[in-house]
This record gives sequence, C-alpha cells and structure tokens, in this order.
Amino acid sequence: MPVKKRTNAIKKKSVTFSDDTTVTQNEHNKKDKDSEHPPVSVKKTIFTIPIHLLGLLYCYIFVSESFDTLKLLCGLIPTQILYVILQFNRNTVYGNKRLKVNVLLIFIAVFAALGVSLPIMLGIILFGAPLIDKSKETLLLALHASFLAYPAIYSVFNCNFKVGTWKKYFIFIILGGWISCIVIPLDWDREWQAWPIPVVIGSYIGAFFGYSTGSYFL
Amino acid sequence: MLSLKLLLFQLIAITIFCVGFFPSKNVLQGSGEFNFEKELQLTTKPVFTKLVFVVIDALRSDFLYEEQNSHFHFVHRVLNSGEAWGFTAFSNPPTVTLPRLKGITTGSTPNFLDAILNVAEDDVSSSLKDQDSWLMQFYKHNKNIRFFGDDTWLKLFPLNIFSEYEGTNSFFVSDFEQVDLNVTRHLEKQFKEKEQWDVLILHYLGLDHIGHKGGSQSKFMKGKHEEMDSILEDIYNSIGDTEDTLLCVMGDHGMNNGGNHGGSSSGETSAGLTMISKKFKKLAKPKDQINTVLPIKWNENLTEEEKDYKFLSFVQQVDFVPTLSALFNLPMPINSVGVLIPELLRLLDPKLTRTKLKENFSQLTELSKSLTTRNIYNAIDFQNDTIEDIISQMQSVQSELMKSATNYNMNAIYIAIILLSIVTLIIIHKAFSNYKFNILPVAVSLIIGLSSFASSFIEEEHQIWWWLITGMCAFSLVYNSDSKFSNFIVFLCLRLIRGWNNSGQKYYYPFALSSLLKLKYVNYQWYLNTSTILYFMFKGSMNNFPSFMSSFLLANLCLMYKVSWAIVNQEHVPDTIKHYVLVLCTHLMSARNVAPLQLFESTLIPLARLFFCCVVILLSLTLVIGKLSPTRLGNPVSNIKKIIIFLLIFQTSPENIGLYLLFGILETNLTDIIDKHYSGNTQLITTISLVMQYFTFYQFGNTNSIATIDLTNAYNGVSEDYNIYFVGWMMSISNYAPAIYWSMFPWIIDDNKQKWKKFIERKNIILLFNCISGLFLLITCTILRYHLFIWSVFSPKLCYYMMWNIFMNVIIGWILETLVTYVM
Repeated sequence: MPVKKRTNAIKKKSVTFSDDTTVTQNEHNKKDKDSEHPPVSVKKTIFTIPIHLLGLLYCYIFVSESFDTLKLLCGLIPTQILYVILQFNRNTVYGNKRLKVNVLLIFIAVFAALGVSLPIMLGIILFGAPLIDKSKETLLLALHASFLAYPAIYSVFNCNFKVGTWKKYFIFIILGGWISCIVIPLDWDREWQAWPIPVVIGSYIGAFFGYSTGSYFL
Repeated sequence: MLSLKLLLFQLIAITIFCVGFFPSKNVLQGSGEFNFEKELQLTTKPVFTKLVFVVIDALRSDFLYEEQNSHFHFVHRVLNSGEAWGFTAFSNPPTVTLPRLKGITTGSTPNFLDAILNVAEDDVSSSLKDQDSWLMQFYKHNKNIRFFGDDTWLKLFPLNIFSEYEGTNSFFVSDFEQVDLNVTRHLEKQFKEKEQWDVLILHYLGLDHIGHKGGSQSKFMKGKHEEMDSILEDIYNSIGDTEDTLLCVMGDHGMNNGGNHGGSSSGETSAGLTMISKKFKKLAKPKDQINTVLPIKWNENLTEEEKDYKFLSFVQQVDFVPTLSALFNLPMPINSVGVLIPELLRLLDPKLTRTKLKENFSQLTELSKSLTTRNIYNAIDFQNDTIEDIISQMQSVQSELMKSATNYNMNAIYIAIILLSIVTLIIIHKAFSNYKFNILPVAVSLIIGLSSFASSFIEEEHQIWWWLITGMCAFSLVYNSDSKFSNFIVFLCLRLIRGWNNSGQKYYYPFALSSLLKLKYVNYQWYLNTSTILYFMFKGSMNNFPSFMSSFLLANLCLMYKVSWAIVNQEHVPDTIKHYVLVLCTHLMSARNVAPLQLFESTLIPLARLFFCCVVILLSLTLVIGKLSPTRLGNPVSNIKKIIIFLLIFQTSPENIGLYLLFGILETNLTDIIDKHYSGNTQLITTISLVMQYFTFYQFGNTNSIATIDLTNAYNGVSEDYNIYFVGWMMSISNYAPAIYWSMFPWIIDDNKQKWKKFIERKNIILLFNCISGLFLLITCTILRYHLFIWSVFSPKLCYYMMWNIFMNVIIGWILETLVTYVM
C-alpha cells in the first residue's frame, strides 16, 4: 500500500486490534481517560529482551520429542509471568514513574489471556485455519498467541487501557505467525510442517523481536 | 502506445519460448523387425492368435479390484479362478486420452503437446500414421483389425488398417448411455463373424463421462460398472472354449476423486489392466495374486492421500506393448520404452523366452542411442543372467529413457528469455519513473515469480494468493481503522470463498462448502443460487425500466437453464423452484402434456441458445445506446457488467453460483473502503483486482493442472454437431468466470479526459505482473528442464500462464475493456 498514505494513517489512527475484544469494549473508557492520564512507554533497553522465548523455542525444536505444543504452553505461561514481573513491568514508564507489580492484575491478565484466546482462535480461522478439523491444534495455537501477548495484555490493564502503545506487540506476533505460514505448502514432508508447529515457531520469533525492539517503534 | 508495443513483444517472447520448449519429439521412423533367431521366431506358434482389446476410458485400478468401489463381479470371479491375471498399470502423465492411446499403442512416452491437442480435436499432426505401433505390426502381418468406440483412434491411425470401424464422439460429456450402446450394439454381429477378424478393439467412454460429471463416487458408477462387467462376461462367453483368444481390459488412465484427469496424482496414473483367457488357468497365478481374494478391501484407516491405488502386480502401461507383441509373436514397435511383463513371459515357449528378452533389450538400446548421447545400458549376459536380473536391468534403461524423451530448442529459449527480460526492464523502469509509484504490484509479482521455483508452490498456488490476501486484509484492518466493519465483512467473505472449494493438487479437505452444499444441503444450494440470481437482477437496476427488463429476462433464462440442467443430470432441486421453472419452460416451449423430465431435456439446448442470443443482443444494444446517449439506460458500465455477470453465472456449475453472492457483498464493502481511503488510486485498485482474479480462480476449484479444466459447462447449448471454436470459447469463459468477474472490478465511470490514461495505467500494472512472474517462470522451466516434474507441474503451469495472457489479458483485458472504456 502507498507509503504516503501509511504515515497519514498512523497519525490519525484510533485504537483497534482485531483479535482483542477487550479493546473494543473499553474504547470509551480510554477516550475519557486520555486527557487525564500521562503517556505510557517502554524504555529503550536491552533488559526487555525476552530470552526465555528463545530458550523455550530451543527446547521445543531440539529437546522435546515430536514438537510437543502442549508442553511448550506449560513452559510459556509461568515464564511469561516471570518476564512481566522481572523484566517488562520494570521497564514500563507511566508518566514519570515506574509502575509496581500488581499481583491481582497478574492473575486477572492470565484469565484475560485465556478469555482472549477464543476470539484469537476465531481470528486464526479467519486467516485460513480449518474450521472443523484440527480445532484442538488451532486452540493451542490461539493460547500460545494470547500468552505471547500476555505482557502486553497485562500492561493494557495496568495502564488504564491505553491500548495504542501496546498494539505493536500484537502486530509483531501476528506478523511472525503470518510469515511463517509460507512453509506449510512445501512438499518437504518434515515433521515440523504440521499444523500448527510453523506458526507457533513464527509467532515466538515475532514476539521475540516485538518485545526486544518494540520500544523503538512508534 | 508504448504499452501496446510492450505487450506485443511480451507475447512474442512467450510464444518463442513455447516453440522452443514444446518441440516435436524424436521419433524413429520405420518399423520393428525380428533381429535374432528369425527362423525360430517365425516358425513358433504364437501364444494367442486372437485379441479382444477393451479400453474402458478412465478405468481406475480400484474400479476393477477394490471392494467398495468395484462392481465388476465377473472380473473378480475370473481373477479368483485364475482365468484372469490382474495388474495395476502406471499411466504416464499427462493422463488424457490422446497421449495415453499413443502410449498404449506405440509404447512411447507422451509428448506434452499431445495433452493440449487432445482438446483441439481436428488436429492432424498427432497422427500415428508413420509411427510403429502394435496395431501397425498386426496390420503388416495381415491381421484383420476391427474397431468400435472413441473416434480418437480413427484420428490416430489411417483408416485403411481397420477392416470395419465406427467411431463415437468423445466430447459430448453429458451422454452416459448412448455413447456406450453405440459400441455394444456391434458385438453380436462381430461374434457371429468371429472367424473373420483377428483383433477387435472396443473403446468405451461412458465411465469417463460419468466421472467428469459426477466424480469417482457418482451414483451412476455402479450401474456403469455392472454394464461393463456384463459386456465383458458376454464377450468371454462368446469367445467360447478356445484358449487362443486373449481378452484384455484396460483403462487408458485413471481419475481423481473429482472425476477429472490429466495430472499425475496416484488416482489419475493408476489404471486397471486385466488379461482374461482360459489359457491362464493352466499356469499358476502371478505371485501377487496367488494369495489374494478379489475384491480387495482397502484398509479403512487410509486417508485420501495414503491411498496409492496399487493393487496386484504393478507395471508400466507401456510394458503392455512389447508384451503383447511377444504373446502374438510379432516384432516389437521400435519406439516402445516398454519392458516385457515377467508374469506373462511364462506363457511363452521356453525356447523363445530369452530370444524375446534379447529382442526387447536390443530395441530399447537402439532407441536410447537415438535419444541420448550417454551410454545408459550395460551389457547383459543373456545366457546366464536370471530373467529377473535381465528385466530389472531393462527397467533401469526404461526409466532413463522416460526421462530423456525430449529435446529442447535452446536457442529459441534463450532468445525468448532475453526478449522478455528487456520488456520487463522497460516496464519496471516505466513504473519506477512514475512519481506516484506503488510498491505493492511489484511485491506481488516478485512473490509469485519466486514461488514458481518450488514445484509445491505451483501445485498449491492458491495458498500463496490466500497468504497475500490475508496479509493485505490484516494490513487494512490495522491501518484503516475507521472502516473496521467493512473490513471485517471483506475478511469474512474472503474466508468463505476460501472454504468453498478444494484447490491445489495435494490436499483434500472433506468439508469444503461446495461439497457440503452439493451432497448434504442441496435445497439450500438452490435457495442460495436463486438468491444470487435475484441479487444481481435487482442490484442497481431498480430506477431504470429498460435496464431492469434486461436483467429480469437474463435472470429468468439463467435460472431456468441451471435448474433444467440440474434436473436432467438427476440432481435434486427444491419443489418450489422446480415448479416455477417448469411453468416457465412449458410456456417457452409451448408444450403441454409432456413429462417434466423430457420437457427439461428438450428445453436445454434451445434455452441456452436463446440465452446466448439475448446476451449478445443486449450487450451490443447497451454498448451502442450507451455511446449515443449515455444517460438513457442509467449507468452503461454497470449494465454491461451485469449482462456479463449473468453470462458468467450461466457458465458456472450450480455448486459455485452462490460464490457470486459473496463476490457482490465483497465488492460493495471493498468499494467502500477504497472510496474512503484510496479514492482514485488506480494502481492499488488494479492490484486488488489482479489478486482477486487469481484468488477466486483457484478458489473455484481450478489449479495449475490440466486435470481441473472443467468441461461441464463448455457444451451449454451445443448439440451433437458442435463447433469446436464455440466450445473453446465456452470452456474458457466457464473456467475463467471468477477471474472475468474481478477483472471488471476497476471498470467505473470516470471523467472523459482521465479514462484512457487510467486504462493505460491499469494495463501497465497487469503487464508488469505478467512480465515479472512470466520471466521467473520461463527461467524456472529452463533451469529445471530435466526435473522429474517438468511435464507434470511446470509445463502445465506454462500453459496456464499462456492462457492467462491470451484470454484474460488480451481478450478480456484489452479488447473487451477497450470497448467498455470507449463507451464510458
């Protein structure tokens, strides 16, 4: 699409994200509070690099037998929570102050992520996943995607639903997953071409880049 | 005018490439002779002296042997009693009748062009007059040959070799019964005169026609199998007790589950082959048959992809050629790449076995000398090596020969690539010098171009287009946030279109919407189709009476024809719609007291002709009136679009008509988004039109394989004495129907000064795409010309590319669009 248009669009954009229903529901809240609350940002530092995602990917690809996607999810949820507490939240700046970890919100965000995974699953089906076949795999993928977005979801809650800043993290995850789809039709007959393995790996890589470099983007 | 010149050069380049890439094959002239121990061979009595050769078109191996799919009970009986030996014969792609008949008779590998010529029936260049074949050998040795069946044979062979013949026409696909009765009715007379002939060839087409119409699981299959089976039983009984007659049943190719063929899937390439004779009973059954009871049950857990259609012994179809020659003690055809089938060698006089093997080997050697410079055979010790060793040696020579059967004209290929590169550079330069240059069309062209290097991306090209579309859609969803709802509807429609049909050549998803509608919810299918037709009838024509009348007329004719067609083809149509159409048909044909089915049958052809006449008249009227007084008929462009849409619906199979409703909704929402955010951005609009053309083309069930060329709608309004050009036009329109719909997407009224500028801008985008993707495709074909898939994947893609250029770009994009732009 045209480059010129694009920059215009970014300036005038309002808040949206396709898969996240909480966003649309809370749009009104956000508009009201925009003026009252100071801007929110993530510090430009190497401390937001989510190394655990690389570790998980390494285990998924090389250690676990036949790409156990469920086990990976079990590893993802606690490490993401730790990531939020130890790395991501510490580098989130809200106005001038750093926000403290809100234990209640940590749990609420977990449930939000679980809840959001269903709309995400519908989104994945919209992107071409089979509707009837392999719904278990699609749900797993959706859970992965929503927990990859967990730090962003947590921050949405923590910063009074200022979604605009966090949108790019969601986009990175989707972009990673979308690009990785390209290997599926190839006839290499590899184990890792089975649904949803490539997309899981792709969205991890997308999330890795997203959380590492997200603060440098608008 | 520069665009027109570039287009010309681009077309010239790809034409030159095709001339260099699809050359005529190297063929040895002359005919086979005995080379070794001539005396012995000439004096030995042949194993068989009489041949009844029955070809059943598209007889897939499981139709003969598998428990669920096969109803050939007589064949099972004789196979179990040992009077018949069964094989699965690999039929070399392209799996269409003409090249396969060449393979079955001459034993040579097919020339890819034959697949195309299969459609152009009047062609004479494919004649086998000067090529050696077992038919020619029989003829030269004064055997009396009689032929009844598909008239392709009569085009392949000089008529004087048949002492009696009658051809049936293979292209009138909706005929299941008569085409076979026309063959069978000769049998009684022929078996009364059975002393007079030596070879009787029968070619039945009905099974293939059923496949094309209703797929391999069509409900007509059982009856057809039983009919064929009883014919075989009659023939076998008529042969009597003599052991000297061989009854041979074979399919020229198989079919896929959709009933189509032409490609290289295992269903298409696995044809049945059964030889029946009392003589077989004297010997033990072949080793693969000895412990098997027919029909064979398929493992229930097998998925569609895992079924390999291999039953009993597996042979190459061309192997039949030297084997037949050996059994009848005739020289082997010189162009054959077949290897003697070891099981059948046991029938030969033991003294002769090694001599025949030697003959076969020397014939293969001669052939390989003429085709390759490499030495691809090893010396064989015919005295001491075991027969299995000799056969396996010859099979390795055979596989080498199959690979290297063509020569390329490299000069033409290089010239074409250089010419196309120059055109591409100019067009890219032109695009980049435009200050409003848009990167999207270049990116799309590059992705499609690069993807042609991987054979799986060609087979599964619809995936790439879907991938691009989801990307574009998601982008728009994020950046055009104030048209969120339109965007969502667009995405939803696209997803439904995507789920409508199976495309691609490898995966088969059983819950495609079209098959659900066709098999489970037929009523809904017809309600949907009726609403689609009504939608286009009312859309945009309510405020202008003449334009509404023309829509009304076309919509009714279209609905009448589609419903009548479905009823004649024994599909279910809900009663309300059926009654409505019945009343209309009764009035139209002014026929009372006629049974509904006959009425529908008799209306089909006149109705279709009436519809085509209406389309032509209304189209010309709209064009003329639109030019003379633009406002009289409302919006002339949308009127023209609507007439063409009705033609497209008319040329679409019932299960796909509902897609046009989605197209309509999609187009409305897409136009909303574009008007809001990208108004007047011709490059973007053209790119969207281009992406949608390809996406919907594949999502209609088309692929890059010859197998999915759909002929069902090519015969609308055509009677037995048809015109090949008309059928060709109808075939192109029906296969490219969705693409034509979306190529009309950018046609909007524009102010007079801008319209030609925008026209050229649109054409440049399409040319840019065709040049870049084409250049990559030509390079791929050149680099991979010795690739295993060159004939099954890359060459069909090249043909489709040609067709997109000639039909979609030149005829629709340039000629039709110029006319419309002129009226605007």
